[in-house]
Amino acid sequence: MIKIGIMSFAHLHAEAYIQNIRAVPDVTFTGFVDPDAERAEKFGRLFNVPATTDFDRFFAQKPDGVVICSENNAHLEMVERAIDAGIKQICCEKPLATTPADARRIVDLAAASRVNLMTAFPMRFSAPVLEVKRTLDSGAAGKIFCFSASNEGRMPSLYREWFVDKELAGGGALQDHLVHLTDLFRWITRSEVQAVYAQSSQAFHPGEVAVETAGMAMLKFRNGVFASIDCSWSRPDYYPTWGGLNFEVVTARGALQVDAFRQKLTVFSHEIQGQSWVDWGSDSNQAMIDEFVASIREQRPASVSGEDGLRTVEVIHAAYESAASGGVVTL
Amino acid sequence: MRIGIVGTGFMGTTHAKGWVETPARITGFCAETVAEAAALADQYHAKAFASLAAMLPEVDVVDICTPTYLHLEQVRLAAAAGKDIICEKPLTLDVETGAEMLRVCEDAGVRLFVAHVVRYFPEYAAAKKIVADGKLGKPGTIHLRRCNYRPKKAAGNWFLDDAKSGGLLMDLSIHDFDYARWIAGEVKTVFSTTVGSMDKDAPVDYALTILTHEDGTLSHITGGWAYPAPNFQTGLDINCERGNIHFDSVASAPIRVLIREEQNAPDVGLPASPLAESPYTTELKEFYHAIAQGEAVRVTALDGLKAVQIACAARVSAAEGRPVFLEPQGGVL
Repeated sequence: MIKIGIMSFAHLHAEAYIQNIRAVPDVTFTGFVDPDAERAEKFGRLFNVPATTDFDRFFAQKPDGVVICSENNAHLEMVERAIDAGIKQICCEKPLATTPADARRIVDLAAASRVNLMTAFPMRFSAPVLEVKRTLDSGAAGKIFCFSASNEGRMPSLYREWFVDKELAGGGALQDHLVHLTDLFRWITRSEVQAVYAQSSQAFHPGEVAVETAGMAMLKFRNGVFASIDCSWSRPDYYPTWGGLNFEVVTARGALQVDAFRQKLTVFSHEIQGQSWVDWGSDSNQAMIDEFVASIREQRPASVSGEDGLRTVEVIHAAYESAASGGVVTL
Repeated sequence: MRIGIVGTGFMGTTHAKGWVETPARITGFCAETVAEAAALADQYHAKAFASLAAMLPEVDVVDICTPTYLHLEQVRLAAAAGKDIICEKPLTLDVETGAEMLRVCEDAGVRLFVAHVVRYFPEYAAAKKIVADGKLGKPGTIHLRRCNYRPKKAAGNWFLDDAKSGGLLMDLSIHDFDYARWIAGEVKTVFSTTVGSMDKDAPVDYALTILTHEDGTLSHITGGWAYPAPNFQTGLDINCERGNIHFDSVASAPIRVLIREEQNAPDVGLPASPLAESPYTTELKEFYHAIAQGEAVRVTALDGLKAVQIACAARVSAAEGRPVFLEPQGGVL
């Protein structure tokens, strides 16, 4: 029996992960710890699970692994606490940290204590994305030249206020939505980002928040592949879902177009007097948690590493530098 | 009003179909040789000429549908003869030549129209109208997408010769550069990357461009000659403060044909949706009324020149890997 706990319910993904953890056979959910007493009380009751504000009590349950869902800037502290408590398996929400220095420290701490550190990049486990990766890997599409991509969404303060707090989140749209596609393209191309150009603005919800709400970036990889990413919070609050992730990959033989969340029903209902979307695609969060558990069970590193998290933090940092200077930033 | 069409390729043929729907009469066609112009001339009961100079005395308006690198000389000839001119996009391959073209027409007292047909496509015109109505507020981010296949030509493929067409950014993406400017105003910064700048022997062309408009709006322009023929996809997203506009040519196709047939794609793809009136016809009707009654048109020669300016900046950016900053309003343009 493998035991897993969650550290902090600050990130809304914790609400999905708790159900994903419970869905894995032979895994016990040990409970969660959250320094915020109000959150601990609320989510403990909501999910009917042990919840505490006391880290010692949390670790006393002897979890084999933890999933960290704190505010972005608290990831380092959470990792430190887990490693101090002897935890050897950590899955940390993205972005790994809000600064390259913190991300580097997290990766170094994990390495020094031989911790299996996984960065939570669920899009690597998306069934449509996996299918496209297989096609590209098979060579059937020919050489990859570039990606035109979008990971646009609603402004996430809709779910949690801290997502738009510069200190706690580390920024706005660039911080929130560049990571997934950046990670996917590193993974698909097996190359690292060499140069970044980015622009940002407060085009959406102007004046409501102190961070950027719109952003576009162009990444150039060492192997020559390039990619554009729109990471804007351009979807209105009443959009049928949180947002989406799309890309077109152009190859020597043409192109593949991917809409990772296209597998949905369109539902019209009297209740809302309108349209809603219901996903029926495979749950990539579940597949990611399955992999974390499998890595614990098989005593091997998870397929996504802390290093993967660090690399994307470096790219985001470069994007902020570029947006500030107006020039191309070389990593 | 007597129309003379210069160039009898794909675009000359398309324009001829449009002029027929106006009160104007096509009286002449000219191409490199009389033989080349003969087929269209026969079809439209017009005369085939061996040169533009020979055709000029018998027309009132010259419609230039030739490869881009030939535009300036033909405009000069027509302007010198006092003819109003319609010129296919892009106007020219560089800003200086374009500025000269505008000057030549102004000095000669003739009108010059640029055929940026995307402004006449009903989906693009409808989106522009929604933005202009103001209910959605200011656009914040814009995505414009236009991708088909490499233009084919039996011989001398000028589209693929950068010196003659300016390449993908100048020939195809310029449609969306112009449209982005129409929606969000003047452009301040251009950053572009192309497959050609990564691998000049690549079998596909594809260009990604980020435009920063003077008011801060960000436009993302995707252009491609990368799909297998006969695919031609276009799309737009205009994300505004208080709402979003989305169009995707694939999703909005009212008919899907699943009939077995030999693949037979035209030399140059055109985006097409079944419509009562072709956007090319809408465009030429507007030009006709502008010439006949002096009415305004939605796209001016200066717009055409500014689109060339953005495309030129995109080419420099792609070649040099750096953002290119445009002179603010009031410079040479």
